[in-house]
Amino acid sequence: MNLKGKWRVGRLVLLVIFILAVSLVGLGCVKGLVPIGWSGGAVSDGTLFVGSKEGRLVAINLDDESRLWTEALRQVSQSGLFGCSPMMGGGGCGGAAGVAIYGTPVIYGELVYIAGYNGKIYAYNTEGLALRWVYPRENYLEPFVGGLIAAEGKLYIGGTDGIVYALDPATGDKLWEFQTGDKIWGTPAVHGDTLFIGSFDKKLYALNTADGRKKWEFTAEGSIIATPLVYNDVVYIGSFDRNLYALNAFDGSVKWKFTGENWFWAEPVVVNDVIYAPCLDGNVYALKAANGAKVTEYDLDSPVSSRPAIVNGSIIFTTRKGVIYSLDAGTGEIGQLADFEQDVDGPLTAYEGIVYIHTQDLSLQRINPVSGAILRSVSLKSQN
Amino acid sequence: MNAWELIIQQPVINVLIVMSHSLAGNFGLAIIALTIVVNVCMFPLTLRQIRSSKAMQDMQPKIAELQKKYGKDKQKLAQEQMRMYKESGVKPAGCFITMIIQMPVWIALYQSIMLALAVAPEGLLNLSKYLYQWPTVYSALPLSREFLLLDLAQPNFILAILVGATMWMQQKMSMTTPADAKQAQQSQMMLWMMPMMFALLALSFPSGLSLYWVANSIVRVVFQYRVTGWGGLRRRAPVATGDSEKRPVRFDASEEIKSTDDVGADIVISDSDSARKDAYQPSRLNKTRYQPGRDRAQRRRKK
Repeated sequence: MNLKGKWRVGRLVLLVIFILAVSLVGLGCVKGLVPIGWSGGAVSDGTLFVGSKEGRLVAINLDDESRLWTEALRQVSQSGLFGCSPMMGGGGCGGAAGVAIYGTPVIYGELVYIAGYNGKIYAYNTEGLALRWVYPRENYLEPFVGGLIAAEGKLYIGGTDGIVYALDPATGDKLWEFQTGDKIWGTPAVHGDTLFIGSFDKKLYALNTADGRKKWEFTAEGSIIATPLVYNDVVYIGSFDRNLYALNAFDGSVKWKFTGENWFWAEPVVVNDVIYAPCLDGNVYALKAANGAKVTEYDLDSPVSSRPAIVNGSIIFTTRKGVIYSLDAGTGEIGQLADFEQDVDGPLTAYEGIVYIHTQDLSLQRINPVSGAILRSVSLKSQN
Repeated sequence: MNAWELIIQQPVINVLIVMSHSLAGNFGLAIIALTIVVNVCMFPLTLRQIRSSKAMQDMQPKIAELQKKYGKDKQKLAQEQMRMYKESGVKPAGCFITMIIQMPVWIALYQSIMLALAVAPEGLLNLSKYLYQWPTVYSALPLSREFLLLDLAQPNFILAILVGATMWMQQKMSMTTPADAKQAQQSQMMLWMMPMMFALLALSFPSGLSLYWVANSIVRVVFQYRVTGWGGLRRRAPVATGDSEKRPVRFDASEEIKSTDDVGADIVISDSDSARKDAYQPSRLNKTRYQPGRDRAQRRRKK
């Protein structure tokens, strides 16, 4: 090939690279194309367990910050030339490699449980993180976005396949299942012998924990992916119709509803009979638990998608931009504690007066809300 | 939200969601409908681009003549070409500029599709900031990802093939065949390379994006057809040369061919003008036509 021919081929290659770059940059600007995960933390005996954005269960000794982590959860497959397939967790377009973990780990007895976006549930020993069992043993289910909950000798979780699973915590055997009308992304809540879980089919289901039989269902005008809060026999649940509903836990009848300007994505908290409901419109609404009357609202300037934490009578909120606020539930005063300048979507974890915040930069930020001191962060990056 | 998101992405996303809601919650149909609407809105620009390409295509013989005439004097050739473009009112950069203007719209459209599709949980969470305060918009989410047995959030092989095929078709129709053989070879390479590349991209991204690419190519094929006809897709009649005895014969049912054992004639089906000129003329063709009785007798004599 002469010089001219080579030049022509070179120009063609450049053009192809240009088009590829434009396409990838165009898509790269679209945030949220690839699952990354937003697991919160669970603490037991001074050890904090959290699902990292690398797809590992990490155990941190809170006394000396030493870390122990499991092998990365296995992916179903890595489809997609550029690793942008939505089935992938974390990897490819901007995320860390590994399976996305959205649910917060659950500690029950000697085991810690975690569900992955790869459609598997794992049980590890809290000591040493040795794998005890995996559900399902063969193949993979649809991705898990909602977290697990353990109560009355059973593990419960809802999957993207729309099924609520009840498992034996010791063996991982399935005890019962219940099919809803669409995907489930929310974490269930248990109150007495009733399990509450929302679905994309716009319904909140109340199931009997013993056998999974439906007790009642409530239909909203939008999908339900939030985690319910049960307090004084009332279920508080946010829906995509921008309402926060208060339902009678025994029959699902509506006690009251409050409309925000966006979705109530995060689970609310209750202090002194006041519901504090974070909303994606950037406000936290303080509502009377009894009748839904608005006490006040706090403008945090940015959407709030994380479940708040309660520490010594103060409620700690984080916005999606990583700005931390402390609200004194007694006086109603709110103040900014810190700005981590990192995206935060996962729930906050509080333990012995310290709040742990899992940020997008693969680290666990720590803050003492009483003194306002920001402690040294813990890296969740694995060494290999 | 930055200006791009506020002015371009947000309106498109909300329109997509409302369209999906109006079309029985079918997001696939909403993608197709919005692609058609955007194409119709951009039609004046597209029309200009198509006409520019057509004018350039029509000028190729003249450019070839100029190349023959001033082949060695590149400067003179360029001058003459520019003069010719000016006289004909053709702006060679016109196609490119129109494409550059359209590009942000296409990028916004496919970004909006990806955002509205919310393939990952983070995507749905991000989507919340783009929503208008219309009750329909909030309640319609999350959008259904199912369309004709497809999961629009997953890559699909058949759609990827369709992306390549429709893009090839559209390119072939609008392709200008340069007079220069090397340039022609280059554009031939592009004709194949682009669709193949997009097909490969389609294998990597959610099929909602592929659906948009396919719908977009089909709409542009329709536009191209309305303006220029089949263009490059039209089968060209082979040019009759001295060393070839093949003659084009127009396939016309109204013309009755009496001999039923008329085997051996070369039939080229064509609707091009050049083919029509050399179309079936019994008096001329009879000279070369295979005549069973006479030819057999000749063969026997040779033996």
